[in-house]
Amino acid sequence: MSRRAAAVGICLLVATPGACRRAPQLGDPLPGLSAAERDRFDRGRAVFDSIFDPATGLGPLFNADACAECHEDPVRGGTGDEVERHAAAFHPEVTGRPCDELATLGGPVYQNHVTPALHTALGIDSEPVPPQATAIAARTTPAIFGFGLLDAVPDSVILSYADPEDRDLDGVSGRPNRFFDGRLGRFGRKALVPALREFNDGALAAEQGITTPAVPTEETVAGRPLPAGVDPAADPELSAQAAELLDAFVRLLAPPSPQRLSREARQGRDAFMRVGCAGCHVPALRTGDSPIPALRRREVAAYTDLLLHDMGPDLADICLGDATPREFRTEPLMGVRLVARFLHDGRATTLEQAIELHNGEATRARDAFRALSAEDRVAVVAFLKTL
Amino acid sequence: MSRGILASLLIIAAALSTAAPQQAPPPTHNVQGAVRTVDVRGRALEVTTGVGMALRVVRVLVPADLRVVSAGAPLPFTRLQAGDLVRVSYGSRPGGFVAYTIERLERAP
Repeated sequence: MSRRAAAVGICLLVATPGACRRAPQLGDPLPGLSAAERDRFDRGRAVFDSIFDPATGLGPLFNADACAECHEDPVRGGTGDEVERHAAAFHPEVTGRPCDELATLGGPVYQNHVTPALHTALGIDSEPVPPQATAIAARTTPAIFGFGLLDAVPDSVILSYADPEDRDLDGVSGRPNRFFDGRLGRFGRKALVPALREFNDGALAAEQGITTPAVPTEETVAGRPLPAGVDPAADPELSAQAAELLDAFVRLLAPPSPQRLSREARQGRDAFMRVGCAGCHVPALRTGDSPIPALRRREVAAYTDLLLHDMGPDLADICLGDATPREFRTEPLMGVRLVARFLHDGRATTLEQAIELHNGEATRARDAFRALSAEDRVAVVAFLKTL
Repeated sequence: MSRGILASLLIIAAALSTAAPQQAPPPTHNVQGAVRTVDVRGRALEVTTGVGMALRVVRVLVPADLRVVSAGAPLPFTRLQAGDLVRVSYGSRPGGFVAYTIERLERAP
């Protein structure tokens, strides 16, 4: 009997619903969706794949003409090779709000491209970063698999990992970022954005220059209003229904299924835990209630606490909300095997380099990693490549 | 004046006031965000808000008779500062947005 036949036989014997369900492949929806949810996922994928032009709403400032232009590797929803620019001004001497995200000057996202009409009107090829900026950050494209599960993690779970005063004296503090309206943030490299729907609607505006009912106005050009006649599409350029479908697609994308652990990977997982990586890269988060059963009370192997941590001066770039230039959200490691360039700006080309560049609150864990045997270090990387 | 004439005049006055064109109040918008700037002399407030990474700043004029409140108590406009978390209702007027209510929810850290 072949292995496959044996597996089928066992499945028939074990009458547990879903026991033999095929693990989702990259780009698949979460398992267990209703027919209506699956339909919304499929229709949302079409919006995700849509290529916009100026007549259908693209720009006048933009980074990409489709979601799938950046989130493409190895399948839609994955990473991409685009690197964009974010800028802000940090004034640590200012009490209250030392961070200015340059929102009145077109920030914090400065688009790399402009439509032909805007180029003709202003003679620019990209949005200029104003001189008020104190830092410009490079940002790679994150994979967005499993983001619906991250969205469904209750605030209380995230806050349970926070230790802003480092009361347990482990050298790791961790604090939440908050959006301007006071809500806890979780999406983005600085954890500014509280909710997936807002992450998606904001991306339509900031990345593609597409207005929606949620964001009905275009970006300015570094604070200057758009010249007349450069934006031919009427606002909102995408309907509420299309934006909802896009959100459904992203929300229902399954996380990458962790691969089977080899003996070496198991050894690496043990070393990962032993040296303290899991202090921030929390292996699993549990979702709370959700109107979507596939997101409700699930465990997601996210390897993040969704909190801000001081990563030291070498990685520092912009501030954002409450996040200082040195603070970054713990990057989820789910799907890290699919990534070719690591850290928020892609400066590391190997996982070992990325670990070496950890500093600040991660110093103790990084030093413990360095102190591992060569075999254990290789094993840690082997483990990470299963995620 | 007889009671009958007085009653008639009142009815006519009421009818006229009902028939007179009434100026519809401007629609109310609401924003909750962080105070970016307080322009005391110009009686204006800038509030940072937005959706995701698409950030926006709303500038509202603050009428002299508007009472800012904090925890249910009045708060002088001049006591607002950058970083305060506020909830503002406002409407559009020819000179720009004008605040109807301002509530400070949290003080700046």
